[in-house]
Amino acid sequence: MTTRSVLGLQTEVAAVREAEARERRTVLVPGVRMALLVLANVIGLLAFVWPFLLPSVSRRVAENHQGDGPWIVATLGAILLALLFLELGRGGLGPKTVALLGVLGAAMVALRLPGFVAGFSALFIVVLVAGNSLGPGFGFLLGCIGMFASGIFVGGLGPWLPFEMVAVGWVGAGAGLLPHGSSWRTRIAWLAAFGFASGYLYGLVMELWFWPFLTDGSALAWDPGGGVLMNVRHYLAFYVVDGLTWDTFRAVGNVVLVIAIGRPVLAALDRAARRMQLHVT
Amino acid sequence: MDRPTLHPMAWIVWASSAGFVAFVTTDPVYLFLLWAVSWFVYAGHRVDAEHARSFRLFLTGAVVAVTLRTGLVFFGTVSAANTTFSFLEGLRLGTILVIFGTFNAVTDPFGLVRMAPRHFHEPALAAALALSIAPRTVAGVGRVRDAQRMRGIRIHGARALPALAVPVLERGMEEAHTLAESMDARGHGAGRRSRYRPQPWTGAAILIAVPAIAAAATFLAASVGGWAVLHPQTSPMVWPEADPLLLAAIGLLAVPGLVGRPER
Amino acid sequence: MSDALRFDEVTFTYPEEGRPAMADVDLAIDEGSFALAVGPTGSGKSTLLRATNGLVPQFSGGTFTGRVSVDGRDTLAHAPRRLADVVAFVPQDPGASFVLDRVEDELAYGMENLGVDPAHMRRRVEETLDLLDLAGLRDRGVRTLSGGERQRVAIAAALAAGPRILVLDEPTSQLDPQGAEDVMAALQRLVHDHGMTVLLAEHRLERVAGWVDVAIGFDRGRVRSGTPAEVIGHLGAGPPVTRLGRMLGWDPLPLTVRAARAAAAAAPQPALPRPGPARNGAGHGVVVEVRGLRASYAERTVLRDLDLDVHEGEVLAVMGRNGAGKSTLLRVLAGIHEPSGGHVRILGAKPRPGVDVGLCPQEADELLFNDSVEHEVRATLAARGEAGAADPWLAALGIAGLAGRHPRDLSAGQRLLVATAAVAATDAPLLALDEPTRGLDPASKERLIGFVRAHASRGRAAVVATHDVELAAAVATRVVILAGGEVIADGDPGSVLGDSRVFAPQMTRVFGPGWLTPEQVAEALT
Repeated sequence: MTTRSVLGLQTEVAAVREAEARERRTVLVPGVRMALLVLANVIGLLAFVWPFLLPSVSRRVAENHQGDGPWIVATLGAILLALLFLELGRGGLGPKTVALLGVLGAAMVALRLPGFVAGFSALFIVVLVAGNSLGPGFGFLLGCIGMFASGIFVGGLGPWLPFEMVAVGWVGAGAGLLPHGSSWRTRIAWLAAFGFASGYLYGLVMELWFWPFLTDGSALAWDPGGGVLMNVRHYLAFYVVDGLTWDTFRAVGNVVLVIAIGRPVLAALDRAARRMQLHVT
Repeated sequence: MDRPTLHPMAWIVWASSAGFVAFVTTDPVYLFLLWAVSWFVYAGHRVDAEHARSFRLFLTGAVVAVTLRTGLVFFGTVSAANTTFSFLEGLRLGTILVIFGTFNAVTDPFGLVRMAPRHFHEPALAAALALSIAPRTVAGVGRVRDAQRMRGIRIHGARALPALAVPVLERGMEEAHTLAESMDARGHGAGRRSRYRPQPWTGAAILIAVPAIAAAATFLAASVGGWAVLHPQTSPMVWPEADPLLLAAIGLLAVPGLVGRPER
Repeated sequence: MSDALRFDEVTFTYPEEGRPAMADVDLAIDEGSFALAVGPTGSGKSTLLRATNGLVPQFSGGTFTGRVSVDGRDTLAHAPRRLADVVAFVPQDPGASFVLDRVEDELAYGMENLGVDPAHMRRRVEETLDLLDLAGLRDRGVRTLSGGERQRVAIAAALAAGPRILVLDEPTSQLDPQGAEDVMAALQRLVHDHGMTVLLAEHRLERVAGWVDVAIGFDRGRVRSGTPAEVIGHLGAGPPVTRLGRMLGWDPLPLTVRAARAAAAAAPQPALPRPGPARNGAGHGVVVEVRGLRASYAERTVLRDLDLDVHEGEVLAVMGRNGAGKSTLLRVLAGIHEPSGGHVRILGAKPRPGVDVGLCPQEADELLFNDSVEHEVRATLAARGEAGAADPWLAALGIAGLAGRHPRDLSAGQRLLVATAAVAATDAPLLALDEPTRGLDPASKERLIGFVRAHASRGRAAVVATHDVELAAAVATRVVILAGGEVIADGDPGSVLGDSRVFAPQMTRVFGPGWLTPEQVAEALT
């Protein structure tokens, strides 16, 4: 019948955790892991912006294969996502994180159902607040998992899915990197601003998925033979015509929701995380 | 007491093969045939009304994609050649969408998740949880709205949204807490894992997967070997070809429509 | 017999809390016993249950001293997941704890995590299905099951890994009487036929007191164990027969109707006359008028040709099995649900929700969205244009002292009282409560009963849908029983409850029809 001090408990628990860590056979040092995560995200970014970077190729090759490019990239995107998950899941997420991902993912699924008004979809508010409260790692995971699950639910598993997942994941991660400031007003202001910006950024990035199909030589089209600057100009022109109004709905919708429910919802999430002793990643 | 017998991997193989075939060609004969094959497979295997809805969505999406893509020709010079080219590109995109539609309609998401390899186990579990909790969340929103009405608070516009969002979220958080405790107590994350009733590869699954691979291989050979025209010329325009071997290969993709249909 | 569970000088404080949740707990539970943890909310019951498998402190954090051993294993030396083969924990809300979709898969989940080989798993799953009588449900989706079935599946899932000790947190609180019976019978079988050790926490003592052999009483973090009669007697709570026994000085205190009948027969009391009507409520103006009401829900006709009147000062208890239409009736009265035939009039007009009727739903938490109790009540007042203070409404429910607290920090019972206050603040002519005592601790239940009585005595009307016979016995001025969407009984509580075998309160079962509450009996006998 031994009495253990608080310190004793911590040593005890630490011993248990160490044994478990050894069991998981994790050979990667934290620094290497971070580097891999960054690399995976850079590759992801490249997978989105490849139309600008394709070096000039001979006309004939371009003609024969220009339609194929997007599909190759779609496959690459899926592989990239797999790598990212492999990396994130490696440490073992734990029951608290999995349970929260499940519940918040369910909220995203539920919000995707009513459809959308132009580009706006209420599911963005979930990743915005979850990322802001529970950290960028969680926000990224939630974005991916939420889009995947809601894709299954609304029957939207298309070849663009990996890109959607990563893009929404980036929104969640970004929200997690925002400063909290010293008052609620600051925190909400940052989140609202990011909500606005991400409304456009998401569209800008996702339109890149469709754009390379447009290859008929017009001023808005993708020209694999052209240079980076020319393609960027073409793309922006395309975006203005195709995506700007759509995305404005999303950007404004995000701001409205953040201001309307941001504070009570963030407070609830913070409390829940504290009560569950969830350590923010 | 039979579990659903079709290994989800069979469908993944089928969808990937069919997708690959669509990817390597813009010949409308082959592509339209693929539409028919996809519909045929879907009709034989659709699981329930909800999945049927998703197929219709994809079908609509495919038609829209074709139309939009063809319409983009108006941004540049309009000619018969250009229009045809645009149309064929759009058709290819639409075909891939229809194939995805069939895939969505015939697979069971939980089956997919159970199949996830070890390192994906937790994210896959989270996705499965999201799917199974979602109906409760939707029902919860309705109940909260009613509850607030019954004390005099109507949810109109952004002002009253917290009265709706907070109770739904708090309920979700409590459930997450209970769920996490339960998972922890039942050994989640203990490291070693085994699989209860691993999904066997039945004859039906093989009959779906193998012909699909054969079809994809045939088209790959045609693409690399160049012994058939996969991209009909648009300037000047010529009639598209229909190589009998390739047509037969597409026919192989229709095998699932005849095999392994679920009991009604 | 060795100890299945042992606590040695255990003290535990949750993070950010001032008071310890468990203080110097010394406890030994023998193998093979059926133990009950009982005590007011917040007294440490839940904490103790979670300490048996290490969730406290490993999941919850906090400061922990002392030692808990389960089947000889120290809970600090093993993660909760490593104790899953020794002790199983079943939480209060089983629906929220399911991970997978089919019953069979859910049972296997725990074993999958422990790496049990498939052949062994198959056998265990089959055994566990039989153990809890679930074989017919094996293919069902867990979310399609009834409350009692879900609870049994949750128990089965926890047992599939083969533990000998089962710990349950309020297993019957969310269940109707039938579901509760099924679960208690299953637990009884596990203990008596299979030699398992079962520890459960429960408020509704009348359901469990007769089944258990040892009780553990909690009082502000301290425990006292002994026979159920000793512990429950000492705590000052208990089922109505126990409360009566305490009032009349019976010794030993009876815990069941049977024991009470024996005690009553043995005690030198004068014979009881047939009592007069318990409460006089009717005879005033009509508040609610229902004629020929028909209502459907999910394409099923739930209410058929219902006629009902509620007068000022009346408290109407609506009783009946699950699915009999109680909730639907309340929702129609509240104006939320459109009837498919007939009409409902509140003070002569169609009911407007929140204005003519205030309805507190089964899940009180569905209402709470503010950061203080006071603001919660103010939100209702603001919605109807009132600028007044929240205090009178809080005081009516005895919770004025909680005004500044955050609702989510309160116990379930306290949250229900807050929700009731928020609904009462609509000041509607009719107050409707849907299953208010589900999962409610005795102290909160007392407050609620007091509130409803006061509400009626002020000339307002109330309708309460409930399974809780003792609640109906305590507050109703009229009782209506629904079955198959029709009213099969309507009258004063003494006769309606007295006539029914299923719905008879404990006092009726001991002393005959017309006797409803221990206070009533005690007064007549002294």
